[in-house]
Formats: sequence, structure tokens, C-alpha cells
Amino acid sequence: MTSWFDHTINGLIIGNIYGLLAVGLALIFGVSRLINFAHGSVYVVGAYVGWVAVSVLHTPFPVTLALVVILAALLGIAIERFGIRPLAGAPRIAPLLATIGLSFVLDQTVQILFSPDPRSVPMQLPNWRLEIGGGSIGMLDLLIGGIGITAAGALFAFLKLTKWGWAVRATALDRDAARVVGVDVDQVNRIVFAIAAALGGVGGVLVGMYYNVITPTMGFEATLKGIVAEVVGGVGNVPGAIVGSLLLGIIESYGVALLGTSYRNLFAFLLLIAILVLRPNGLFASRHQLPPEPMTGTFIAPSKPIGLPVPLLAALAAFAIALPLLIDNGYLIQTLTNAWLYALLGLSLTLVAGTSGQVSLGHAALLAIGGYTSALLAADYGFPVWLTIIAGGLMAAGLGTLLVSPAFRLRGHYVSIATLGIGEIVALVILNWESVTHGPIGVAGIPPLEFFGRPLYDTNAIYWVAFAIMLALALLQVRLLSSHLGRTMRAVRDDDVAARSFGISLNRYKGLAFAFGGFVAGISGAFTAHMYSFINHETFNTHISVLALTIAILGGMGNVGGAILGAVALIGLPEVFRIAAEYRILLYGIALLLLVRFRPQGLLGTV
Amino acid sequence: MTQTPPILELRDVDTFYGPVQAHFGLSLRVERGEIVCLLGGNASGKSTTMKIILGLVKPTAGDVLIDGVSVLGLSTPRIVRLGVGTVPEARRLFGAMSVRENLLMGAFTRNDKAAVAADLERVLALFPRVAERIGQQAGTLSGGEQQMVAMARALMARPRIIIMDEPTMGLSPLWVDRVLSLIRDINGEGVSIFMVEQNANLALQIADRGYVLQTGRVVIEAAAADLLVDTRIRDAYLGGAEAA
Amino acid sequence: MNAPVNASPITTAPLLEATGLVRRFGGVTAVGGIDLSVFEGELVSVIGPNGAGKTTAFNLISGLDKPDAGAIRFAGANIAGRSPEGIAAAGIARTFQHGRVFANLSIADNVLIGAHGRLRAVRPDWPIIGPLAELALALVRPASVRAEEATLRDEVSEILSLFGDRLLPRIDQPAHSLSYANRRRVEIARALAARPRLLLLDEPTAGMNPTETAEMLEIIASLKARGQTILLIEHKLDMVMRLSDRVIVLDDGRKIAEGKPQAVRTDPAVIEAYLGHGNIGAAAPAGNAATAAPTLPVTA
Repeated sequence: MTSWFDHTINGLIIGNIYGLLAVGLALIFGVSRLINFAHGSVYVVGAYVGWVAVSVLHTPFPVTLALVVILAALLGIAIERFGIRPLAGAPRIAPLLATIGLSFVLDQTVQILFSPDPRSVPMQLPNWRLEIGGGSIGMLDLLIGGIGITAAGALFAFLKLTKWGWAVRATALDRDAARVVGVDVDQVNRIVFAIAAALGGVGGVLVGMYYNVITPTMGFEATLKGIVAEVVGGVGNVPGAIVGSLLLGIIESYGVALLGTSYRNLFAFLLLIAILVLRPNGLFASRHQLPPEPMTGTFIAPSKPIGLPVPLLAALAAFAIALPLLIDNGYLIQTLTNAWLYALLGLSLTLVAGTSGQVSLGHAALLAIGGYTSALLAADYGFPVWLTIIAGGLMAAGLGTLLVSPAFRLRGHYVSIATLGIGEIVALVILNWESVTHGPIGVAGIPPLEFFGRPLYDTNAIYWVAFAIMLALALLQVRLLSSHLGRTMRAVRDDDVAARSFGISLNRYKGLAFAFGGFVAGISGAFTAHMYSFINHETFNTHISVLALTIAILGGMGNVGGAILGAVALIGLPEVFRIAAEYRILLYGIALLLLVRFRPQGLLGTV
Repeated sequence: MTQTPPILELRDVDTFYGPVQAHFGLSLRVERGEIVCLLGGNASGKSTTMKIILGLVKPTAGDVLIDGVSVLGLSTPRIVRLGVGTVPEARRLFGAMSVRENLLMGAFTRNDKAAVAADLERVLALFPRVAERIGQQAGTLSGGEQQMVAMARALMARPRIIIMDEPTMGLSPLWVDRVLSLIRDINGEGVSIFMVEQNANLALQIADRGYVLQTGRVVIEAAAADLLVDTRIRDAYLGGAEAA
Repeated sequence: MNAPVNASPITTAPLLEATGLVRRFGGVTAVGGIDLSVFEGELVSVIGPNGAGKTTAFNLISGLDKPDAGAIRFAGANIAGRSPEGIAAAGIARTFQHGRVFANLSIADNVLIGAHGRLRAVRPDWPIIGPLAELALALVRPASVRAEEATLRDEVSEILSLFGDRLLPRIDQPAHSLSYANRRRVEIARALAARPRLLLLDEPTAGMNPTETAEMLEIIASLKARGQTILLIEHKLDMVMRLSDRVIVLDDGRKIAEGKPQAVRTDPAVIEAYLGHGNIGAAAPAGNAATAAPTLPVTA
């Protein structure tokens, strides 16, 4: 058994690496009020640059480090220039979504270039350990600690002693005031992105050496950990981010020692939610104060929604119903069935994010709750499938709303981070709660869909049932939007302060939006589970959450018809053109980037 | 006046925020050495005028000239380098930075370190109250002290014109007097002043000329002394319905 | 229209009574111990230069901000520190200085939001299942719910007709397409739809030209005539003088005067706050003499 000393050292080393990420996130948030979801991708790029340097070019360690710093900094500058700056006048959530799109593009590019297989980064240091008491410290531990301390010292000196360091601090405190004293805030942004990316890239190399393995998919988790550390320390607070990182590293290390590796992330995300709910300004906020103001702002571009005439919609519906009779192409019908199920997810998110303004990044968790509820009730307890699907919808509505309810008091970006964390928690609970969910092996042999007791195997029949459910729930959502609830939810989205001043309880209406949306998504997840006959904790992953958001934005936020159109476009078209899976995620990333930049109101307009 | 062009001039400026028009053919000028006052009620378009001059908002029509040269399309730092200092509305100090750091940020566009240090001494001599607080965090100062720091910060750029947005806002009468006499002192050193004020009668006591802005249009332009006795202006600055 | 009809200006206790309100931001004291009261049926104006603490005081009363010290009693209950929705439910409605309309909602929907607290049929007062019942009733929409919505829509048209043809022809347009003045009108209409016991108006004529200002004066006068209790922030003094039963003057976060409009106009402290000492700088311009006028200059 490893000693507590070793766990502490391990926690501090991991915390150090989180710190390299979190400090960059804090700097970027400070000057841009942006949570940079592409940050973990820079860390991946740093790790692979390091791998190429060591394994292909055989550079010595200092040269490796210099290469990583330079290339990562250049990447950071490029992200700022082409991803962020063009969105200067856009709604605040737009750059956040752009960074998500960028992270998809960068991660997939690395994956296409280097294959998804893990690679090991050869250790360039003597494998020498110093025995202390009951534990030991290795050369690499000291190196990582040294780099962390050096980087923090250099950053501190830059911020306190140099002219541009002052400009960075001034811009973080008051961007407009910095402008009027003559600070070029674009230059400040560029500097900050370069520093943040360089630190993140170094983190990537070090983590590759520490664990002796790198993968193209490790960036997303790194982003999340960096964000957790940053939130713990207080968003935008650089020293706070360092303390938050070390704390997170130690909590994780002790937690893993007590309960096992698969609990590592659970600790991180529970910590995130606890901090967001109890101390949204971080551990070190001195006074009770409002979170930094730019956290508000939804993704609603004022636009005139395109009203499609009812006869046209009826004709389209009739065509969709008749389609299996008109053509004999099972693959196409299956693809469209999938599109209807994604349309349900899109309807759910367009209500929550579009109509009510709560940009959820954890929406796949609702699919998972619905899917698991229905699958387990049917497979393990033998309930009829039609009943378990309804139960899946209700469970997603109830449990989903309950889980998100701590986030109802949050605004803007905080909602996105919280829902992301809650989504991860759901996936981790599914993974770890083996006695109920079957844990990592997943649920196999899920009974097939049935129609009043008759199993459905026929592709066309499944298609019609999926379409009917989708149509019915879409019409129900249209009815909801035309009621007082529609205007109340939109009022909460447009200006929650004014809404509260007229007696609107935010909890109640955000709750109703999540309940209705949760039901719709839960039905989709349940239906999917029975259609696939197998699900596990990775079936409904974060990529699906982001895809759902892309569907909602593509169609037009809050727009019911738009969500359906968006699903057909993003699910149907890649299938029809037979685009390979790894290029598909790349395509979704590019689609999100282009939409945010050029058509934020979507195809049919926001409502 | 003279052959030299005005230090600041706006010509027929139209500005829009979405569908809402903030300026309708706005024209005004500040000659060298003048104190010029822009008066008007809230939401009359005063603050937008400041943003236009600094390049923070782009007008849809018209021109903005400094020393007779158009600055349309120039970035704010470029405009600051042309000698435009600013005292923003509500001071906008860097609250978590010290007073000294705030003042030196005012000289951000300058690279002459020795001269900046000399100017810091000079400015502190002009604002003894600021000198007392030099090490303190700016956000902990009182409103009047913050206003002093904001003016001192603007001076650190060695501006030829300072534009001020409601410099007396939220100050007690005692501080209002101090601030206005300091503005006179600054002007006495050859710096032109363009100030937006709602507190018109006070501002006009130190101004050379004034403009009255109403719903985005200049409705009156006159010498300050004339404006002070003009009944129309009394109504306008105190918002009388019969102005113009 | 539907405002409470209670013309007697002075009853035993004030409807709103704030005592010793304090609010500080860092080193700046925005509100430094203000007392303020409004009786049923009264129109009280709060005046003072920008930055005097008027809007901060409004935010404290309406619950958007919490006082560092002081008490606020409304209709007998202490409301200091209550949530904005709780204060709205108690019967206070407000407008915002810079206009906070719901940009993507139509004018009609904006005003209907004002009546949100009055929805009864669709928002049954049942514990725990209330929200779910609300969802069900909104989707099923029985006759009672439809009738309630129809009544409120009629009322919206009635409220909007107060503004002549400024808003009615645009009733279905989104608020982001409106002019500044029309947004202010929508805000007032929205506040009226709440049928508040106390209406807080924060500079209702900001950004309005003289004609529009005169129009607004008439509208507020008609509300007052109907018995609506109003607390008004305004800079246009002739409007304040004509409308107010009482005027409170703030400067630098403190109350420097209070009383009948005529008395306040001649109060030396007020004149000093508005017009200064007349001794600024060494050489004041000749026009300075004008400031020696004994009253605040207001032309009728």
C-alpha cells in the first residue's frame, strides 16, 4: 500500500498540472470574460508536439520544452485571432460556443493525424527517486514541481513588474477604462492567449511524461479539470486558480486512495457543483458580491423567425409519413429514425437553452437517465416497454430537474459549466453504481420496442412510431410556447432581473422548462435504448450534448420547427454522404464555428 | 477664430444603436485652450458623444476630426496617442490596483520613463490629496478622491484635450467645487477641456462655451456667459418642457 | 382604470417607510442613511443630481439590491432584504432608468408579464404540485384559463390606450424594434398591468423630447388622479413641481431637503446642490450672477 505521503505528493503533482491549465483559463477569463473550452485541446497539441520532438526528432528535454512553448503559444494566438476576436460584438455565450467548436476541430485533427491509439512519451530523465520517511519523490516529481513554481513566479513578475503585465491587470479590472488610457486590448488578449496556451502546452507534455501515455481525447477532461480548479479559486483569479488546482489535485488523490480510480472525476465534479452553489465567487472572494457581470447574456440574436405556412408543414409531415412506402431504402429510413430521436433532444434543448436561456452543456445526461430507467425496468424487472419508456421520460423530467435545480440560481456561463458538471456526475454515477446500472459492462439484452404488446422489429414501423412520438411532443411544445408559460420563460431569458421584479420566480419557470424538456429528452433516450438493445455509460456522452446544442442553434434557438430541421440536417446529411465517424465530429465542430460566426439566429430564426 | 483648426470637431454625426438613433446630424467643436460644455438630460446622447470621439462607437454618418484630421476608423489607443485624455463617467478607476499604478497606467501610451516620473511628481503636486493616498487601492477611496485620481490619471498622458463625462457626478457640494476649480487649473496649463455635464449651471461657471443636446440634436449653442442667463437653458438643463 | 381608488392622502401610517438606508460600494457610499416615506394616494418625487443615490435607493426598495443597514416597511411589513419577486407580490412595481423591456417579446407580451402576479386560474395556489398544475393547465387550457387570458389581453389594450396611438398600432411588434421613448412607455404599461399599490417610476421622461415629456406629464397626472400611489425619480423640475405632493432632495447619498414643492424650491441647501456656491475658481465669469437667483428656475 502506498503511503499518505505518496498520495500527497501525487496530489500536488497532479494539482501542479491542473494549475498550468487553470492559470491560463483564469488569465483568459480575466481579460475576455470567456471560459475557453479549447484550452484542453491546446494541452493535447502540446503533448503531441512533445511526443514528436522526443520520439521523432529526439530532442533533449530543454529543446522539447522550448518547442512546445513556442508552438502552443502560436496556436493560442491563432485561436484568439480567428476564433475569438471576430465575435467581439456577439452575445457573450457566442465565443464560449466557438471555443467548443474549436476544441472539436483541434481534437479531431490530432486524432486524424496521430490515430486514436494511446502513445507513450519516453521519459527523458534518470529514473531516480529520493526516499523520504515512508514515501519517495522522483526526479520527474521535482521537475514538474520546479516548472510549476518557475512558471508561477515568472507570471507573477510579468503581471507586477512589466508594462504589459499592468495592462493585462488593468484590462481584467475594467476593459473600457483600459481602452481609454490607450491600452490596445486586442494586444492584451493576444498576449494572454499566448501565455495561457504555452502553459497549457507545457502541462500536456508533463502529463504525458508523468503517466507515460497520451491520447487525442484527453483534452476535454483537462479542460474540465482546469475549469473546476478555476471555479474553486474564483473565476478569473490567478492566485486562486493555483490554490484551487493544488486543492483539487490533493482531494482527487486522497479520494482515489480511499475509493478507487473510477471515482477520481466524481470528486472533481461534486466539488465544482458544491462551489458553484455555495460560493459562486470561489473560496477566496472576500465580500458578498455579484459574480462578474458579463456572466449574463443568452444566445439570442434578435431576428424575425421565418413562419412556415401550415399547409406546407402538413405536406412535409405527410411526406415524412409516406416516405417508407415511396422508397425501399432501409438505411435511409433508419437514419431518419435516428434524426427524429435527435429532433426530440433538439426540442428539449431548444426549450431549455433557446426559450428559457439556460445554455445546458450536459443535456445528454437526460437521455442517459431516460435510457437507463427504461432499459433497467424492462430488462431487469420485466415491465412492459411502452410503460418503461414513459417512466424513462418522467424520471428524466423529475430527476433531471432535481439535479439541475442547484444551478437555477446561476446565470450565463455558470449555468453552462454547472450543467456540464452535472452531466458528468450522472455518467460517473452510472459507471460506479454497479448494483443498479451494471457499471462499466452496461445494459445488454434490452427488450425491443413494442406497440401495445407487439414487439417492433420492422424498420418502417419503428420509423413511424418514432415520428409519431416526435410530432406529438413537438405539437405539445408549440402549445406550451403559445401559453403564458412561453412568454414567461422568454421573459426570464431576455432579462431575469426585470422578470423577478414582476413576481416571476426563476426557480419555478426554469424548473418547468427542465421538467418539460427532460421528459422529451428522456423519451428519446428510452426509445434509443430499446432500439439499440445495448447501452453503457458512454452511449450518451458529452459529444451528444454539444451536438444537441448545435442542432438547436442551427434550427434557431427556441424554434420548434428549427430543432427538427437541425436534426435532419446534422444527423441525416452526414449519413447520406457516408462521412466517416472521425470526420463527422470534425464537421460538427466546423458547423458550430460557422453558425456562431455567420448565422447565430439559425436557419429558421430565433423565437 | 484663428487659422488653426479646432482641436476637436464633430461634423454632422449620426449614430444608431440597432433601430434607435442616438445622434441626428450632431456638429460641435472645441478650439484650442477652450473649456466647452455639452449639456443635456439623461439619455440625450451625451455619453454616446464621448464614445464617438474615442472611437468606441462608430457613427453611421459624419466625421470626427482632431486637429483637422479625421480620426474615424482609428483605434482608441491611436486616438489617445493623438493627445486625447479621458475622465470616464463614474471614474472607472482600476479598483484593485494602487493609486500609483492607476496614475502610471494613465501614461501607458508614453515611453519616456524619466519624463513620466517627472510628470507623476507634477501631478501629485497638483493633487495633494491623491499624493496622500498613493499606496492605497483605488477602489477603497471615496467618490471625491476617486474623481481626483481619474483626473490625475488623464493628465499623466500629457493630453492636449481632456474629455470628461460628468466629472461632478455623485460628489458632495464641497467636492464639486474642488473638482471644478481643478478643471480650471488644468485648463490654465493649456489643456483644452470638453466636458459633458448634467449639472449645467455649475459647469457653465467655468466653461467658455456650451452646447445643449436634446434627444440627439444640438438645440442651443452659445457662450457660457450667455447660457447662464438664458431662460431657455435653465429649462433645458433642469429639463423644462419648453426648451428650444 | 383599475388602480386602487383611495384619494385620502394621509392615513395613519405611511404605505412605504424606509429608515436609515445605507448602501456602500467599496469606498463610495451611494446611499448614506436615507429616510423616506410615501402615504397612500401620494405622489412623492425624489430629485437630485446624477449619482446622488436615487436609483440605488429604488433598487433597495424593489429588492434588486440589499441595504447594508436600515429598514424598509411596506404596508406594515418589513421588506428589507426580501427577494424582488417577494416585493413585487407585496404590491410594488417599478420601471428602470435605462429601460429594461423584454427585447424579443411583443409589446402585448411585455405588458402581460406585468400581470404575471395576478394570474389565478392558470396558477392555482396549491402547495408542492402548484408548478405541475400550472404546466398542465397551460397545456390543456380549460375555459377558466382561456377566459383569464382573454380578460388580461383586453386589459393590455386598455392600458396601452393610455398612450394614445404610440403603442397600440405596434402591439405585436417585438420590443427591440421600438424607439427609446416607446420602450419607456412599454415599461410603464407593464408596471401598471401589475396593479401595484405603489408605483416606482425611475426617470420616465429620460430621452424624451418636450412634446413627449408633456404627454408623459399628463399621463402621470391622470394616474395620480385615479389614486395611484407613486414614487417618482425625475430631473425635469417643472414636471416635479406640477405633479408632486411632496419632494425629497438627495445629494451625495443623503437627504438634504424634503417638503412641499414650493418650499423645496427655495431651500438654500437645494439651491446650493443644484447651482453651487458661485465661488468656483478664482475668476468666475460674469454670468455667475445668474446663479444668485433665490429659487430653482422653473418655468411654468
